[in-house]
Parts: sequence; C-alpha cells; structure tokens
Amino acid sequence: MTDVPTLSRRGFVLSLLAASGALVIGTRPILAAVVDAEPWTKDTPTGAHEFTPWLSIAPNGQVTVMVTTPDIGNGVVTQALSFVYEELGARWDDLRAQYASTSSDYALGGVYSKVNGSIGYFGGRSTSDERRITYMTAAANARERLRHAAAAQWNVPVGEVEARDGLIHHAASGRSTPFGALLAHAASVALPEDPKPKRREEWTHLGKDSPAKVQNPLVVSGAAVYGIDVKIPGKVYAALRQSPVMGGRLKSYDFESIRHMPGVRTVVEIKPTPANEKNILPSPFPMETTRIQAAVAVIADHYWQARTALDALPIEWEDGPGGKWENTQAMADAAMAVLDKPGGKVDFQAGDARADFAKGGKIIDASYLTPYCEHMPMEPLNGTALVTDKTVELWHPSQHTQMAFTLAVQQTGFAPENVTVHQTFVGGGFGRRAYGDDARMVVAVAQQYPGVPVHTIWSREESTRQGRYRAMVAGRLKARLGEDGLPTAFEAHGSGGPGMNFRGVSDTVFPQIVPNAHVETHILPDLHVLNGPYRGPGYNSGAFIMESFVDELANAAGVDPMEYRIRLYAKWQDKAWVKVLEELRDKSGWGQPLPKGQARGVAIGNWGMRGKPFAGTTCGAVAHAEVTQDGKLTIHRLDIAFDSGRILNRDAVRAELEGGAIFGLNMSLNEELNVEHGRIVEGNFHEYPMLRIGDIPQLHIHFGGLSDNERYYEIGEPPVGPVGPSVANAIFAVTGKRLRTTPFRKQDLRWGEKSASAG
Amino acid sequence: MSYSLKINGAAVDVDAAPDTPLLWVLRDHLGMTGTKFGCGVAQCGACTVHVDGVAARSCQFPLEAAVGVEITTIEGLAPNAQHPLQRVWVEANVPQCGYCQAGMLMAAAALLEANPNPTDDDINLHVDNICRCGTYPRVRAAIHKAAEMMRG
Repeated sequence: MTDVPTLSRRGFVLSLLAASGALVIGTRPILAAVVDAEPWTKDTPTGAHEFTPWLSIAPNGQVTVMVTTPDIGNGVVTQALSFVYEELGARWDDLRAQYASTSSDYALGGVYSKVNGSIGYFGGRSTSDERRITYMTAAANARERLRHAAAAQWNVPVGEVEARDGLIHHAASGRSTPFGALLAHAASVALPEDPKPKRREEWTHLGKDSPAKVQNPLVVSGAAVYGIDVKIPGKVYAALRQSPVMGGRLKSYDFESIRHMPGVRTVVEIKPTPANEKNILPSPFPMETTRIQAAVAVIADHYWQARTALDALPIEWEDGPGGKWENTQAMADAAMAVLDKPGGKVDFQAGDARADFAKGGKIIDASYLTPYCEHMPMEPLNGTALVTDKTVELWHPSQHTQMAFTLAVQQTGFAPENVTVHQTFVGGGFGRRAYGDDARMVVAVAQQYPGVPVHTIWSREESTRQGRYRAMVAGRLKARLGEDGLPTAFEAHGSGGPGMNFRGVSDTVFPQIVPNAHVETHILPDLHVLNGPYRGPGYNSGAFIMESFVDELANAAGVDPMEYRIRLYAKWQDKAWVKVLEELRDKSGWGQPLPKGQARGVAIGNWGMRGKPFAGTTCGAVAHAEVTQDGKLTIHRLDIAFDSGRILNRDAVRAELEGGAIFGLNMSLNEELNVEHGRIVEGNFHEYPMLRIGDIPQLHIHFGGLSDNERYYEIGEPPVGPVGPSVANAIFAVTGKRLRTTPFRKQDLRWGEKSASAG
Repeated sequence: MSYSLKINGAAVDVDAAPDTPLLWVLRDHLGMTGTKFGCGVAQCGACTVHVDGVAARSCQFPLEAAVGVEITTIEGLAPNAQHPLQRVWVEANVPQCGYCQAGMLMAAAALLEANPNPTDDDINLHVDNICRCGTYPRVRAAIHKAAEMMRG
C-alpha cells in the first residue's frame, strides 16, 4: 500500500518527513538531466524536500522534476526541465526528471492529471499554458522560499539576495550558500501568496536556448530502456495472435501439436471484452477501441521459442460480421455511397448553400478518398505485466500512463491502490499507444498466467494487422464560384467508420469564410476495422481533401494557386494564414521558372484551431516535384512555414517540423492498408513501405510565419496536413492529373506523349 | 545446443537452438538490449550489428553462423559511448523517439570504417535503415560531421 502522509499539496506546504523516500509518495523516480536508463527504479535522493508534487530538492542540490507526459520523441521531458530552470536558478546539470506516478495521482485526487484535464498525462502538448504555468509557479515558489531562508539566516533584506547556479547569493557581502543547505529552513518559510512566474520579457532561457533532449546519451549508447528492453527476474515471453478479422471469435487451437516444442510452457486464450462493460475509473480517452479482441498467446521461456511455436500452432477462427467485406474497394464504395444520403451529423452551417447553388454558374464538385493507415512505430507493440490474485504491476511503453493505469484496473477489476504502472521509454507513438488497447492486452495475457511476469510482444505483422488505424475517409466537396473567382457556397460531406472525424474540413478556415456553407459527416457502424488517433487525427485526411479542392477552385478560377490562397484566406481575421503563405511564396522560389516536367504546389492547414482564429498551429508547405513522362515522381524540395503563435525551443521545433513533414510525405506517397475478406493484408515494411534517407527531399523550415500571438501551440501534428496536398498540387501542375486519393505511388502519373500512348 | 561467441571482445557461451536469430540471442539470452527488434525480416535495420566489422542485420543472422566471427553491438561500439558519431548525435539532437538510432549508428559506423569520406550517395546506399520519426536530415548531417572529425 502506498503510504500517503497528510500534505497540503496544492498549498505548496513544505513537508519535513524524515523517513527516507517517503517524501516522494508512491512515485518511482524516473528520468534525469543525466537520465536514468531504467527510469522507474531509482528513488529520489534520501532527505529530499518536496516543494510541491512537481518538484523536490535534495541536500546534494539535485532538483527532481515530475513529468506527466511520456516523451515519445518530442522532447517533453526536456521542456519540463526548461520551465523549472527558467524560474528556479538551479544549475542545468542538477536537474533530473522522472515520470509522475499514476498511483500517486490516484491516491492524491488527481494531483497530476487535473492539470490539462483528460490530456494531463498525454504525450505532446508540452508547452500548453497550464503545463508551463504549473511548472514555473512551482519553481518560483521553491526559489522564493530559498531566498527568504537565506536572507533570514544572513539577516539581510530578501530583495538583496538572488538565486543563481544552484546557490543563493548576497552580492553586498559576497556570501553564497547552496540550495541544499537551506532546505530545512526553507520549510518554515510561509509565503504570503504564490509568487507569479517571470514575465516573458524577463526570460533568460526560454525562447533563447535550445537544449538537446536530455535522454540522448542513453539513446546513443543503447542503455535507454524501452518497453521491449525491460529486465525482470523470472520473466517469460508471450507471442500473440488475435482474430485476423477484428471482432471475430476463436473457434479452436491445438496445443498438443506444439506442447513438445522447446521452451513452450502453455497456450492461453484471451476472451473478448463484452460490449456492455462499465467503466471502473473515469477514462481519459474512450474505452471502446480498447476492448480485448479474441486472441491466443503462446507462453515460453524465450521470445523466439514462443514465436516459433505460435507460427506452428493450428488455430481456427470464426470471422464474424467483418468477414463480409471482400476487399477494400467494397468498403470504400460503401463509404462513398453514403455521401449523397441525408441524415449526417452537421458539423458546420452558415447561410443557405442550397439557395446559392441554385443560382448556377461555375460549380466545382469533386470526391476524395484516403485509405486506412498504420502508425508503424519502430518499437512493435509490447509490454510486461505481473498479475497476482489482487495486484497488477505493469511495465509499459505507453503514450498515456494514466490511460494504461485506468485500463489495468478495468481489465482486472482490482482496487486501483493495488495497480502500479512503470512508464518506460517509448519507441514511437504517433497516437498508436495513446488509447491503451496494447496495455490492456498485456494485462489480459498476464492474467492468464498469474504470478509470473509475462512480456507479450506483437510481431511486426501482428502490430500492423491489429492496429487502431487512421480512418479511411471519403469526402465529397462542392463549391460555387462568384464573379471574382472566390467561393460563395460550399457543401461538404465526409464519411468513415466509427472514430472517423472530418477535421481539416469541418473545423478549418474555409467554411468560415464562405458566406453559405454546410459540412456534415456520416458514420458507418459496420465498417469493422478499428480506428484510432493517428498523428493529427482527422486533419491528416481532411487537410488533403480541403487543400486539393482549393487547388481545384484556383484552377477553375484561372488564378495562380498561391495568389488564389492569399486572396481567399485574406478574408479570415487571423492574418497569420496570409503571413505563412507569403513566407512560403518569398522563400520557396515560388514563380521562378522550372524545367519542363517540374512544378511547385502549395497547401496550407491548421491543426487545433477548431474553427477559431488565433488558435492551433497554421502550417503551410510548398513542394517542388518532378514527374517524368513515364510517371516517375521525385520530390526535390519541401518548404515549410508555420504559425504556432510563439515558440520556446527553436531546435526542438525545427526537429518536430522536419519529422512531421517527412511523416506527412510518407503518408501521402506510400501508405495504404488493404482488406481482404475482412482481414488486413499488409504485414511488414516490404508491403507497407517507408521513405528512407535517400528518398528525403531538401527540407527548408522557415520561421517567418510566426505571428507572436500569445500561445505556444503544438508542432508535431501540423505539418502532416499540408505536405501531401502540396505534392498532389505540384503533380497536377506538371501532369494535369488531379490526385483525389492517396497514396500517390499507386497512381498512374504518366503524362504527355507517354500518357497518350498508354491509352 | 551450446555455442561460444565473441561479442564486443569478450567470449560468451549461449545455449539456444541453432536457428535462433542473433538478435534474440543478444537481447533475450545475453540481456544486451541496445540492439532493437523492429521488423524481423531485415527490412528496417534497427537490429544492425557488426560482424567482422561489416554491418549486418541480426534478425536474419542465425546463431550457428555467429560462431568464429567478431560481433560488435552498440554497447561495444566505443568505450563510454564516445564514438565521434555518438558524440555528434547527442549534440546535434539527432534522436527523436530514439528506438532506431542504435541501428543507424551501427550502420553509419561501419560505413565510416570502410569509407572515411562518404558522399551523400554512399550514405543513401549504406545507411538505409528506417526511422519513422523522420530524423533522416540530421542523420545525414551528423555522419558528415563525424566523418570530418575522424579525418581530423
């Protein structure tokens, strides 16, 4: 049981508990500025003083910062340290991060998860106001206590002492003393009110320095412990196979035929979760897609033994309703067919589109389709759990530790006090590890083999075929152009399976600036393939659809696509859209002549605005592409400009934009899952190709679109929207072929004489 | 079956089936988890190690073939992880999630060993590992930078 002392945590009352380790209640300290390789096993230095649940200082001067969000490669841990560093006056090398314990969070009434609500533990969003202000206030509070303590000891006015480099200094007398020597005294300091964090004008670190990720040394030495690297005495391995058709049932398997194989211990059956389950704890994310799918797992001493035996195990499945879908086209046809039907959910409505369309004139009407895509994080799904008759201990590469905790409780029905989750390093997220079905399955397998730590590892093929995918989205868009070539009416319909949304169309600027607009979505419940969040959910499809369509309008109006967008988006009150476009126009070489067969395309979108100005991150792309007459596509260059308001760590922002642009490029050029008889076809990278280093265009990231609006919005998702349509629009400029589906690699791009000779 | 291997300069004995991939021998039998499982079919390169100094994908390298050769893993690339590539990697903030990076580093190190002044095309050919986070531009820049440092 977690020992929970009485602490007035929100009041930042300093605790003076003497018992070693008791000051960091129930937490298992994790990362460090010199990060711990096994993050969850180290304790905060004995005698550390907890200034707030977010921050403790040890007698040796080490400052431990609690981080709620797993770092999936975005630098969230380093950003948390930066916030504290700015306010506290510590030395950078004395900072240490650890993941905030979900057990503490539960025991202390949501002390961590209440900040930022349901996304309190979520990866990303490292720079939200709530998070920044929480860390900076906590650090400012600690600094002020230390200053008061030192001033009292020296009998000098508080105003004369300052915190710097882990010391409190008194310039007039030349005295200084380390933070660690002041802890006990600082405990007795009662501040009249919480100090306010520094004003932005006073920052010396944030927005100026770009510290590299603190875990880098562990990554390059191979020491960082990801979920798959967890070492626990007595651990055994499970190789997993779930019903190839989602929602199917297990008919039979023949354990006898593999019982003799080396290392094999047993085969366990994992039963599907009933649809009517009730939540035990409030769930940060929806639980529907975390329900256990029918599965078997072979448990063996070593992974390769389990894997080999699983491949040899005869298993029979009953496909269930999803088996009716003969192929991908049948599912796409069903999604397209519903677009013209009434009864969708209205996402946006303004004016009277129908009446405006009745006026006739120039009407553009186009249909689009984007396929199911899989996240393909480099670390295949896996996790380790030890389940006893009333406890669960889970070691997991989660993207949302609290969701993993919630699901471990849900799956076992055990008391939350008896559930412990250890957050490991994470080998890629992109949304795949957010909703937590993987964590739940790990617990479910271990439940069938109690008392022994079981490490369940999905093969790459199992990971790919049992995803929670980027939804297939069908869209039909229609617009009428006025005399000036700009739209006067807009009607859009989107459709897909459960979990699909139409962001990027419904919540973007376009419907807001067309006088008569109507957007609605249709959900098809019998599309059985399970969807989940994938980098920029909804937006990653919607931005392609929206900005391909805008390009069609520019073409119909006979206006240069860049000029058309600048005119169109000038109607929006947030002028950053135009600023981003102008930055791209000026920096990408837009309008400068290119050889035959080459052209530039442009696109722009916004992730996170939800229909509001001065919100989210606006991001635009210019692609410089070449298409040979026999259809070979090369992307020579990508220019990216953006407006997240402001930024804090310039190099971290650049890295995320680079990665996001490449992710968006791969999604658009390469990615597509297919279905045959309800099953996902593609399994490994030879069937689901990824761009490699030689495929990457020149990347130019531009910062001149930043508006200095008072927000630090997300960076990882925004470029995933505009890159694809910028390429498609460049391809149109070369070939005259309008690409209304992805991936582009599967499309016939031949043009000119070659196109004619090909019939 | 018991096999004697030489890994990072040290002799080790392993008891496993002859067709067990070297990847799982390293990770699961020897606890050397710096070498990563990504695909199992020699596509992604996360499992890259050196066999007699040459980059090899250990997920398709059977245990019985690993006898009598010198194997180097990320743990043994350089004392205290101070290979010029590792130093540049940290400073240039190359990793994102970091999972593929050990394989990238091993592929890059084998390239620089054979070719101290690689062109972009050399890098494209020899460092064809998959990184889902998209660290490629930084990987390329870091290889050039480390090559420069190593040439002095």
